[in-house]
Amino acid sequence: MAPPARTRRQDIAREWMRAVYPTAYVPMSPIEIELYLLDLVDVIADAVQAEPFTVDPVAVVGDRLVEAHFTGPETLQRTVEVLGHALLFTPELQDVPRLAEKVVAILGSLSTAFATSMRMDAFDQQEEVTRALMAAKRRAERVLEVSEARFREVFDSSAFGIAITDLDGECVEANEALAEMVGRDRAELTGRRLVELFDPADAEALASTYQAVGDGRAVRVRAQRRLLREDGEPVWVHLAVSLLRDADGEPAYYVTMAEDVSELHLLRKNLDFQLLHDSLTGLSNRQRVVSRLEALHGTSRGGITLYHLDLDAFSAVNNGLGHAVGDRVLTEVGRRLEAAVADETALVARVGGDEFAIVVDNSPTTPSVPVVVDRINEALQRPMADGVAVSATIGVVDRPPAGWDVAEILRAADATLRRAKASGKRQWLPYDRHADQRFRDRQARAARMPGALADHELELEYQPLVTLADRRVLGHVARLRWDDLGHDECVRLADETGLSLALGQWALREAAADTARSSGLGTLHFELSPMQSRDEDLVRTVKRTLTETGLPASRLRIFLDARSMLHGVDDDNAQVLRDNGVAAGLTRFNGGQAELSLLDELPVDALVLDPSVVRRLAERPESFLHDAVARMVGLVRSSGVSVLVPDVATEERAAWWARVEVDAAFGDHLAPAVPGYELSGT
Amino acid sequence: MVDRLGWVPDEVDTGLPSAARLYDYLLGGGHNFAADRELAEKFLRAQPNARTIARLNRAFLRRAVLHLVDAGVRQFLDLGSGIPTVGNVHEIARKAAPGSRVVYVDYEDIAVAHSLMLLEHDDLTTILQEDMTDPAAVLDGARDTGLIDFAEPVGVLAVGVFHFVPPERDPAGVIAAYRDAVAPGSYLALSQFTADLQPDEMAGIVAVMRPSANPMFPRTRAEITALFDGFDLVEPGVVALPRWRPEEGAVDEDADRAGIFAGVGRKR
Repeated sequence: MAPPARTRRQDIAREWMRAVYPTAYVPMSPIEIELYLLDLVDVIADAVQAEPFTVDPVAVVGDRLVEAHFTGPETLQRTVEVLGHALLFTPELQDVPRLAEKVVAILGSLSTAFATSMRMDAFDQQEEVTRALMAAKRRAERVLEVSEARFREVFDSSAFGIAITDLDGECVEANEALAEMVGRDRAELTGRRLVELFDPADAEALASTYQAVGDGRAVRVRAQRRLLREDGEPVWVHLAVSLLRDADGEPAYYVTMAEDVSELHLLRKNLDFQLLHDSLTGLSNRQRVVSRLEALHGTSRGGITLYHLDLDAFSAVNNGLGHAVGDRVLTEVGRRLEAAVADETALVARVGGDEFAIVVDNSPTTPSVPVVVDRINEALQRPMADGVAVSATIGVVDRPPAGWDVAEILRAADATLRRAKASGKRQWLPYDRHADQRFRDRQARAARMPGALADHELELEYQPLVTLADRRVLGHVARLRWDDLGHDECVRLADETGLSLALGQWALREAAADTARSSGLGTLHFELSPMQSRDEDLVRTVKRTLTETGLPASRLRIFLDARSMLHGVDDDNAQVLRDNGVAAGLTRFNGGQAELSLLDELPVDALVLDPSVVRRLAERPESFLHDAVARMVGLVRSSGVSVLVPDVATEERAAWWARVEVDAAFGDHLAPAVPGYELSGT
Repeated sequence: MVDRLGWVPDEVDTGLPSAARLYDYLLGGGHNFAADRELAEKFLRAQPNARTIARLNRAFLRRAVLHLVDAGVRQFLDLGSGIPTVGNVHEIARKAAPGSRVVYVDYEDIAVAHSLMLLEHDDLTTILQEDMTDPAAVLDGARDTGLIDFAEPVGVLAVGVFHFVPPERDPAGVIAAYRDAVAPGSYLALSQFTADLQPDEMAGIVAVMRPSANPMFPRTRAEITALFDGFDLVEPGVVALPRWRPEEGAVDEDADRAGIFAGVGRKR
């Protein structure tokens, strides 16, 4: 008997279970976990479909994850990955309007609730263990009366501040913990009157406390009082005062124990490791960078400099050599960065997967920014134990204006880094106000993209693909347009906003529908984004699109992103497409050796060259590069694969490409794109 | 959790890291202090897989308790129970068999104080502050609680603690004393670190823990199996953690990096 069919929601719950199971210990069996998560999948899937849409019901998902102890360092990230993908591709949700936008909102709400719950949970646990500590300490205090010798050991190792004072209140000795609480040197405390360390307002109450204990009216007194740090900040402490007797049983000393209970302290205890450090590298994390900037910006005498680094092609290390090696590399990078700025007052932090930040508090001897950048580059370029050498791209904000807040400084550094990355690897750039403004406009635009997609502001255009010899039209290439933004820009924005799967899916369906309606378009040539090329659901999406739009498989050619195929995540896509009667090709092909070998491995019969190759050839007439590309084209064509050229902009370029005998080309010079709405039916 | 330094009486040593709180930290718990986390970071450098090992060990505890409940055991003696963290024995046992009784045993002050707080209103569960390598004291204390009926089978749990028992404390003798005190049909569930799987990492752990209050002593599979003298090992015997009766739907785990061997035996 066949088991009942699993629903897609069950599949999502199982996938989710398998993703988070290794990230945290949850005291349930895998099947129980799956059922637990299935309830949450229901909440989420129902919320996506509810009208009117609201994220409110989803908050409970974050709470329930924490409640069941799905609280490992990677649990949330994996949850977002699994759900992000599953929600976009669940057939049940396909017809939900503005799906991508809703999914983003829902995952955001889930993450926020998760983080809040985690934080509360950490507070609760710290409070519990502190209470346990106090309970244990009460017993320890009983022991004090028994033996001073034993007490000495506690004195030195205790996390509580302890002072021993003579009967006049003068400090005979204080331990390190107390010295830390008041921000002073331990030696400096000896000989001082202990009461001077407290807020003057507490002096009278303290005096009567010591009196009561000294008289024997009370064996031990507890109170809450304020110590004053050297900088004048009050520190709330729980005090326990008791009397220490000499060998004859006569009063000899007071023992004062203080536990720091100021909110700041509790917060610090909570936040210290969980929130201020990166667990992998042991470096500080983003939170710590924020507080360091808050502390220094505007008060630092020499001004601060923020270096924001991103390792180049780090995913190649992770994918190629495994995450264990990747983790070792990150740790080593952290170590080297610390060494590179060891002479400076600097904080090195890991602020993202492969992103680091260095906050330098400049002194008169601090080298200039280019020198520091050189040091960073030198520190990184030496190969590591696994034979890996990395480089970094760096955005630098040097002595930001006093009027900026910390968020602005971080944003500027991030934006500068993104700009530097756009110019290649191992680059660095200083902050530039004008470039930044352009960048911000673009970001604003990216943020509007989900809404624009839902409001049909994005359009498809169809650019004729023509043979260069006789300018015969072979078919059309689908291109995106959003107001003044062309195809490549749209694709890049979508990639940045994480929208490229949703956008690609929408575009494929629109283009297939348009092509089915207009026989004059011939064969539809559709280029997939990198993310879409790797999508495991690709074939299903294509088949469904064909069925729903009525476009025959023979009129569709799908181009997979060549670089994504190199990573070999799912190289079945090309074969399965072909098995389903859809021709497959490669796009963004730059002719590298690795890419050439793909032609052997994948059942593709056409490729589109990378626009950057085409652009570079146009910029450097008749160079060595021309020879190389001409040979490459000949080689590729001799293996039976057609070569298509994008962005052909001038007659001169068209003539050159015609000479090397590419199969076809497209570009505004050859034939302008036709907007979808201008297509005639049939 | 054994072999305390001579001067330390039963008072608190807050400045020193403890293995119990280290374990809590590795499991993602917040019941720990800076010194514990510092030790944990060293531990993680020696054995990068430590968080996974902690999780696998805790998961073994759960499967072992459920196996014992299935076999009819309703009373448990949990040796070296540590900081109450996620998935405690009484919670697991009671979910499967309401009314199950548990006596926790630990000697570390904060673990005991913490457990007392948690169990304050629980009549079927308590904690004894004793050294588990002193079976006479533990067994006396357990009898006094009135929670354990030694005429009935008892589940003796020594999960992730025997690696703290040095050879000179006679681990086999300790186990034998518990074995002789419980009725036939009782069970022993035991797991402990071994150098058989990852000798280098294990050597690193031993070096990290040597100067701490809880030095560690890995044992070979043969030595661990020998601890089950007088017990019939249930299938699959003494194996790496994830290999011990994995549950349906379990995600594949790397047994070679699991660090700890585990087994369950039934007293003849």
